[in-house]
Amino acid sequence: MARDSTARKLDETPALRGAKRPGFGGGRPPPPVRPNIPFASNLWLAVLMLLGAEAMFFAGLIGAFLVFRIANPVWPPPFQPRLPIEVTGVNTVILLASAITIRLGLKAIQRGDRSRLVRLLSWTAAAGAVFLSIQGFEWFRLLHFGLTLSSSIYGGLFYTIIGCHAVHVFGALIWLLVVWQRARTGTYTRQNYVGLQTCSMYWVFVVALWPLLYGLVYLY
Amino acid sequence: MTKKIISLSLVFGLSMLVRSSASWACAVCWGGDTGPTADAYNSSVLFLMTAPYAVMGSIAAWLFYTYRRSAATREKSEGVEPLVHLTWNPEESGR
Repeated sequence: MARDSTARKLDETPALRGAKRPGFGGGRPPPPVRPNIPFASNLWLAVLMLLGAEAMFFAGLIGAFLVFRIANPVWPPPFQPRLPIEVTGVNTVILLASAITIRLGLKAIQRGDRSRLVRLLSWTAAAGAVFLSIQGFEWFRLLHFGLTLSSSIYGGLFYTIIGCHAVHVFGALIWLLVVWQRARTGTYTRQNYVGLQTCSMYWVFVVALWPLLYGLVYLY
Repeated sequence: MTKKIISLSLVFGLSMLVRSSASWACAVCWGGDTGPTADAYNSSVLFLMTAPYAVMGSIAAWLFYTYRRSAATREKSEGVEPLVHLTWNPEESGR
């Protein structure tokens, strides 16, 4: 109330009565008001931070592996079974293909093609399941040959590093199956697909990590 | 009080000098600074030193890339004029 009266007084000041009123923006039409949409969602940022933490976790494991690997010129140690390089190489290709399919799925929903998204997510989940099955089968064989968690530092490192990655792939696969089910029910649209996007980020992370671990543990 | 803290710190520091082997920072450095074990630790330490920079750099680069792409997409889709027109323009205002 007091503010209104003050404004009226200022408006009726004799000095300003004959003055030209200021104009704003000239003759141009005002620009359209843009909604304040953030460039990234909170979930996207949270998953990005999670990936940073996961990367540091695996960096710690790789650091431990480097200590034992470089300190031992003979690697694998004598009387220890050799790791299946060829089969795991094929498995690596399967896992890398799954990263391509999930990225294509993301592109499909950006175009609004929901059926293609569901199909590509199925392929991704199948590739992840095949990867885990082959890994599990090879693990059983290695256990049968005597490579256990406590048999040597070689076995301990192998099962810790590769096992941690397998647990991450398993978790990512469960997440992927949830996303697949949501995609089937039509949750994701051309405008809203952040759940799929974050799952894709996590999946690509675990896939991109694998060639590094394969090169270190199996080939180095 | 300050004198007490300083004298206690001096006693602690001198005792560390006397029993230097017990106060080594790394409990596995008994092997010396050469040899495969030392090389292994050096390589691992170097790797772990670079890891946080690589991770934080990747996150920052990803954020920057996403921001640039988002801004470019928005400008293209809306065809919006720059926000500078919202400011008061003395030439166009007629004052």
